[in-house]
Amino acid sequence: MDELERKRNIRRTAILVAAVALAFYLGFILLGVMRA
Amino acid sequence: MTTTTVDGHAADHHDAHEDHGPPKGLKRWLFSTNHKDIGTMYLVFSLIMFFIGGAMAMVIRSELAVPGLQFVHPEFFNSMTTMHALIMVFGAVMPAFVGLANWMIPLMIGAPDMALPRMNNWSFWILPVAFGILLSTLLMPGGAPASGWTMYPPLVLQTGDAFPFLIFSVHLMGISSIMGAINVIVTIINMRAPDMTLLKMPMFVWMWLITAYLLIAVMPVLAGAVTMLLTDQFFGTSFFLAAGGGDPVMFQHIFWFFGHPEVYIMILPAFGVVSEIIPTFSRKKLFGHDSMVYAGSSIAFLSFIVWAHHMFTVGMPLTGQMFFMFATMLIAVPTGVKVFNWVATMWRGAMTFETPMLFSLAFVFLFTIGGFSGLMLAIAPADIQYHDTYFVVAHFHYVLVPGSIFAIMAGAYYWLPKWTGYYYSEKLGKTHFWLSTIFVNVTFFPQHFLGLAGMPRRIPDYSTQFADFNLVSSIGAFGFGLSQLIFVLVLLTAKKGAKADDRVWEGAHGLEWTVPSPAPWHTFTTPPKARIANEAFE
Repeated sequence: MDELERKRNIRRTAILVAAVALAFYLGFILLGVMRA
Repeated sequence: MTTTTVDGHAADHHDAHEDHGPPKGLKRWLFSTNHKDIGTMYLVFSLIMFFIGGAMAMVIRSELAVPGLQFVHPEFFNSMTTMHALIMVFGAVMPAFVGLANWMIPLMIGAPDMALPRMNNWSFWILPVAFGILLSTLLMPGGAPASGWTMYPPLVLQTGDAFPFLIFSVHLMGISSIMGAINVIVTIINMRAPDMTLLKMPMFVWMWLITAYLLIAVMPVLAGAVTMLLTDQFFGTSFFLAAGGGDPVMFQHIFWFFGHPEVYIMILPAFGVVSEIIPTFSRKKLFGHDSMVYAGSSIAFLSFIVWAHHMFTVGMPLTGQMFFMFATMLIAVPTGVKVFNWVATMWRGAMTFETPMLFSLAFVFLFTIGGFSGLMLAIAPADIQYHDTYFVVAHFHYVLVPGSIFAIMAGAYYWLPKWTGYYYSEKLGKTHFWLSTIFVNVTFFPQHFLGLAGMPRRIPDYSTQFADFNLVSSIGAFGFGLSQLIFVLVLLTAKKGAKADDRVWEGAHGLEWTVPSPAPWHTFTTPPKARIANEAFE
């Protein structure tokens, strides 16, 4: 794996994991909105 | 970093631009992107928080030593229980494990640093700000938050000026944890030494990978819950306000959807630490490496489907109670696998009992006691009796003090010679261990009896029938608190012992033991050869 590819993979993994975190945050607020 | 592999771990084979030591002075720490420096800062920060949270525990136990109101107002007592919990959970235990992760994960997987070093710096420096804000609430009109670390509405909405500061600091702690977790996942997935497949990873790395996924899933849930509290208080919403059509019980569901996995966030890295130490001092390979991974993953999965066992008393359908009761009991199976594997690792091993091993052994025994009382609490009809009593306090302190904190201590003693380059004083370490172990039991074991006799938690005064066990518990708490000063002495004298070898401990295996002691500022600037990674694994 060359350096460029590794950097691309790091960026991809980081964005993916951050997106999951954001989805949980917004998802649970949405749950509150729908329940209230 | 280059991808060329060369012989050896090449701790001293730097790329030209990395051939320098750390910057001098404050800059080294403020702007650090080095995983070892950031790990050190996390560990020092968590130790400071441990003593601040511990001082609050001393206030609590002073007030409870004898019946009657002695030292503090009941409101301040409530602030102490709330702040003690928030500081110990988010300021002491979690940052300590992040510190160990920062120091050890890159060394264990043969990576030169964490994958996102600048974010690593942010993750740490957000924490002192968050806790500065939280501690500043002690000086605010209306006092510090006093509604318990669970922040249940509508009680929490009665907090004085401290309320928005509480919410902001919890958000900051969450952001810090999420960024730390992203870094751990990205590092482990992308920066492992060649040929270090997932199932060849050391157990500490595995348990941290699982923990990081838990953090990603649940810290945003806590952030969502406190955001809704904030909008309920200041922006006219009624998420949790019954008067406006909201549902306060929904907060409890959301909080515990975060809160139960949070328990495993504080214990899975402890499992990882102990799984490194027991094989070393038993001079055997870890028994059932792969089953440990599957057990850890099972615990993580189950932690998402048991949250309502914290709220059996709110009133829920019988089927709900049955589901959460049995799902909770199911966790005993993978946890039992782990305890079995630790015991099997020791079986017929050439065991020695240095301080890290002593703390690990105490962990296995005493964490198991906490696990058993957890099983008792899982039984819905029984829990309705135990709920909000000192039995619960005894249970979770057994899990967190001789559980998580003993594992942190074990890890600190185990890796300290690798960090400093010198052996610490084994005599001081063992004194610290024995006093801690005796006093932790003197403190928390009587609390089981108090709870079974019906003493409620979070009260500054109690009926005289609870007097004796409370006095014993308070004596134990002061003994435990003072014993921790020995650990400070160990750290202050950490560089006065004999020079440590690279391997440090005779039975130690893994890449981290192939670098010099103390570990140089830069390590594995070229990845270790697959063969070396494999030998380290073997």
